[in-house]
Amino acid sequence: MSGSLFVNPFHFSTMHENPGDMLGDFYTHNFEKGRISHDSMIINLGPQHPSTHGVLRILAELHGEYVLRAEPILGYLHRMHDKMGQVKTPWQFLPNTGRVDYLHPIAWNWAYVGAVERLAGIEVPERAEYLRVIACELNRIASHVMWWGAFVLDLGGVTPILYAFEEREKINDMLQIVTGSRLTMNYMRFGGVCADINDRFIKMAREFIPRMRERLEMYHKLVTGNVILARRITGIGPFDPDLCYRYGVTGPCLRGAGVAYDTRRAEPYGVYDRFRFDIPVGETNCSMGRYMVRMREVEESLKILEQALDQLPDGPIMAPKAPKATWKLPAGEAYFAVEGARGKIGIHLAGDGGKSPYRVKLRAPGFSNLSLFAEASQGTLLADALAILGSLDLVIPEIDR
Amino acid sequence: MFKAIVDNVKGLYSLLVGLHITGRYALGPFPIWLKLKKPENGYPQLTTHYPRQTIADEDLVTFRGPVELIPAENDPTKSKCVSCMMCVKACPSNCLTVVKGDEGKAPKLWTSNFTLCSLCGTCVEVCPASALRFSHDIYWVAEKREDMINDLLAKLAKNGRN
Repeated sequence: MSGSLFVNPFHFSTMHENPGDMLGDFYTHNFEKGRISHDSMIINLGPQHPSTHGVLRILAELHGEYVLRAEPILGYLHRMHDKMGQVKTPWQFLPNTGRVDYLHPIAWNWAYVGAVERLAGIEVPERAEYLRVIACELNRIASHVMWWGAFVLDLGGVTPILYAFEEREKINDMLQIVTGSRLTMNYMRFGGVCADINDRFIKMAREFIPRMRERLEMYHKLVTGNVILARRITGIGPFDPDLCYRYGVTGPCLRGAGVAYDTRRAEPYGVYDRFRFDIPVGETNCSMGRYMVRMREVEESLKILEQALDQLPDGPIMAPKAPKATWKLPAGEAYFAVEGARGKIGIHLAGDGGKSPYRVKLRAPGFSNLSLFAEASQGTLLADALAILGSLDLVIPEIDR
Repeated sequence: MFKAIVDNVKGLYSLLVGLHITGRYALGPFPIWLKLKKPENGYPQLTTHYPRQTIADEDLVTFRGPVELIPAENDPTKSKCVSCMMCVKACPSNCLTVVKGDEGKAPKLWTSNFTLCSLCGTCVEVCPASALRFSHDIYWVAEKREDMINDLLAKLAKNGRN
């Protein structure tokens, strides 16, 4: 039976390693047991594939060009962030939060810092709260713009990502002034933020807002109005609200399905209750709806940014009793959720009074969003399945943590 | 039937709009490629051609490179470090080694292993003597793994003498 495609499933069910003469691995053999059609083909998309945004592996059963079944397989980028949170002190774990999601690190910073502050009862100065909003919204715009470029790249349009990177570089220049880094930013501290903004930052941000609005118009002319894109993604991958609830989908994917749920509005944190902004909801629940939600969210973020810059109060940026590096987390439990670019980021922190937390649970929105893919991709064309995958806005380091 | 024709014509027009934008960005504003206007009125060059060009110092101050010791005011070859070991305890990656000197508080060995460092800046923030800072050196290259272990006291002594 060596080298044969028709393998005895009972033989392999106890075997977790490939002895060398089998085709496929443990996941493939498990997947093969659920074969729907006898003449279908099982293929791997990934772990290295140009349209999977990192090391995501998808096993798909194809009948011709149609996907009968698909199953995402994770674990190629697992870095044990949950476990690292348990063995490191809160100060030592804080830089890790910037590494979880490389496109929206500041929201993860905020989620962890917020959980610690809620557990320890630390008051954050007003100016620091505004600076957090400014940095977080700038980063959200960068993330959405980057998604826009990468999504169109997935569908075969190469030029837009070059335009997207221009805006992203402008935002990175701004965020570099306050955070010192361009990718794995670590801006927030327990009880405040690490650096104040300067005149240069304010000038750049003021210039950026009208420029981004202009560029958004250009984006819409270049890509949204394009007939190829419209016919490619309109009506592809409809998500019902019911489907989203079952999988715990949040963020633009849920809003694309027509549910106006935004953590910034549902459970206001920081100073988000002081800004006027709308929650964009998709007109259609297909990939085009999710696309439009993200593009309109950039506009809303610009609105918030403008108001935050106008209202920015004077004052300290750190709480007077901010924790030092040797500080011990008090006993108790706290949960803090923020709205990231991909959905609801939640951190559940349990402390037992020791040096490091007893347990840290990171809730990554991308994980729930990806779980939906197995059901949403059933019966679609392979190219449409990849469009659905792109419209979920996956960041694999966040999903695998 | 009539609607399909109109849709297709509109679709073709949308492609022309996209091509117009791409073409405009490729060539610059309309007269620029006829060389009628000065180049600075066109789209600026956004990239830096290293090593022919380097980045201005004002853009580098926000860059946080490998940590370095701040020289003392009275003697630029000496450090302000008091060997309190706060940075060593706080470092998430265990990349710092500080050995206290035989006499006084000054350290006799201060190394930072850049292969482990994640540039989080915790050591800079916790230092009670403000003896640490981020360097702005973006051109540092190491050929061997051993070169990445920075002896910061030796670097300070070398820089102070110059």
